[in-house]
Amino acid sequence: MERFTYVRPNSIPEAVALLNEPGLRSLPLAGGTDLLLLLRHNQKTCDRVVDISLLPELHRIERRQGWVSIGAAATFSEVMESDIVHETAPLLTQACAQIGAVQIRNMGTLGGNVVNAAACADTLPPLVCLEAVARAVAPHQTLEWPLSEFILAPNHTRLPAGALLVSLDYPIPPAGTRSLFLKLGRRNAMAISRLTVAAMGRLEGNKIAEVRLVPGSVTPQTVRLRPVEVFLLGQAPSPELLRQAAQLAVEEVRRLVGRRWSSEYKEPALAVLVYRALHTLFLPPCPAEAH
Amino acid sequence: MHIAFVLNGAPVSIEAPADITLLTLLRDYLGLTGTKQGCEVGECGACSVLLDGRLVNSCLVLAPQVGGRKVITIEGIRAPDGGPNDLQRAFIEYGAVQCGFCIPGMILAGEALLARNLHPSRAEIRAAIAGNLCRCTGYQQIIDAIQATAQHRRERSVHG
Repeated sequence: MERFTYVRPNSIPEAVALLNEPGLRSLPLAGGTDLLLLLRHNQKTCDRVVDISLLPELHRIERRQGWVSIGAAATFSEVMESDIVHETAPLLTQACAQIGAVQIRNMGTLGGNVVNAAACADTLPPLVCLEAVARAVAPHQTLEWPLSEFILAPNHTRLPAGALLVSLDYPIPPAGTRSLFLKLGRRNAMAISRLTVAAMGRLEGNKIAEVRLVPGSVTPQTVRLRPVEVFLLGQAPSPELLRQAAQLAVEEVRRLVGRRWSSEYKEPALAVLVYRALHTLFLPPCPAEAH
Repeated sequence: MHIAFVLNGAPVSIEAPADITLLTLLRDYLGLTGTKQGCEVGECGACSVLLDGRLVNSCLVLAPQVGGRKVITIEGIRAPDGGPNDLQRAFIEYGAVQCGFCIPGMILAGEALLARNLHPSRAEIRAAIAGNLCRCTGYQQIIDAIQATAQHRRERSVHG
């Protein structure tokens, strides 16, 4: 007796119709790296999986009028190998390149990472940093949310049952913008992130004209550290200024999540990662002692 | 349900439940036990196969997902005469095999790398096998074997 059945739609509308067929609990299957574990351990996950992993339109990565649109079923490998993403959002390339190992990157998808919304999801900090928008299709409407509002809490998003996330879109940052993603895990491969930092910024003259800073695996919702950004804007970067910003980042995270058992190591680690990220964005290469 | 796909170059058509993994389909329904069942959660890489040329964990693929697609398992990796190919011979030559359990996955990870990159650095080789755990060798001999095969294939492509 099969615990669930399998169906492979040929288009997004067909997939959405299948997901909303009355009397059947259907779930979309994209990369399967999370869903297959759920299906194995929970007998009643769903009645049917709707395999959206082979829909070509969900793999498209394209530029459109100042935006980049990434299909929700694009795998981490596809995102990592995309020249469009590398040119416009190197921090997203770097995040995808550090997820799991080859096998997981070849299966796992950007949309799956966003919809599952694990607290340690590595693509969320870069996407929030990029001010990405999540686009979904429901039976009679299309929906969109800024990613920062889409994720409500770990494993909870605004995606209604029966709606299908179709793409993650971000505005192309202006020329001169630099960005990066730093990750701390227990080893380089297959490591669940303990702490990450996504950062973007741009100088005009010698002043910071734009800066966005998003820590990962440390706050329940993926958020920009606005007080730190405000502190830095308009300032001329110096090691001292960046050290103060890193301390401010620690204080802001403490305000958001309080002190936890992990704070003792995460707070100093966060200060170092933030300092290193800002240094890379705004100052010449770090001297060895700054690490 | 009915699942039709190309396995190691030959068409296969089989009735199997929709809720089993590709790993179970290969081992229990098709009798191809070269693909190893290890952790079953996508951590160890022992069940690695190539799906449309990409390295994947067969424990994280549903059997019906391979319908209409191409799968290569360790049984499909061999020299034209049916014996071990150059990568497999290099594993033997460099002492890269001890208990052997991880080796089918290692060979497929190596083949996946060499199909895209015949000039891999040691760091690139390490990254390519990062999803394959070996508890015997300490990896160095495996890396040596892949590196030697890359060189062998480069020379062959120049002279051949």
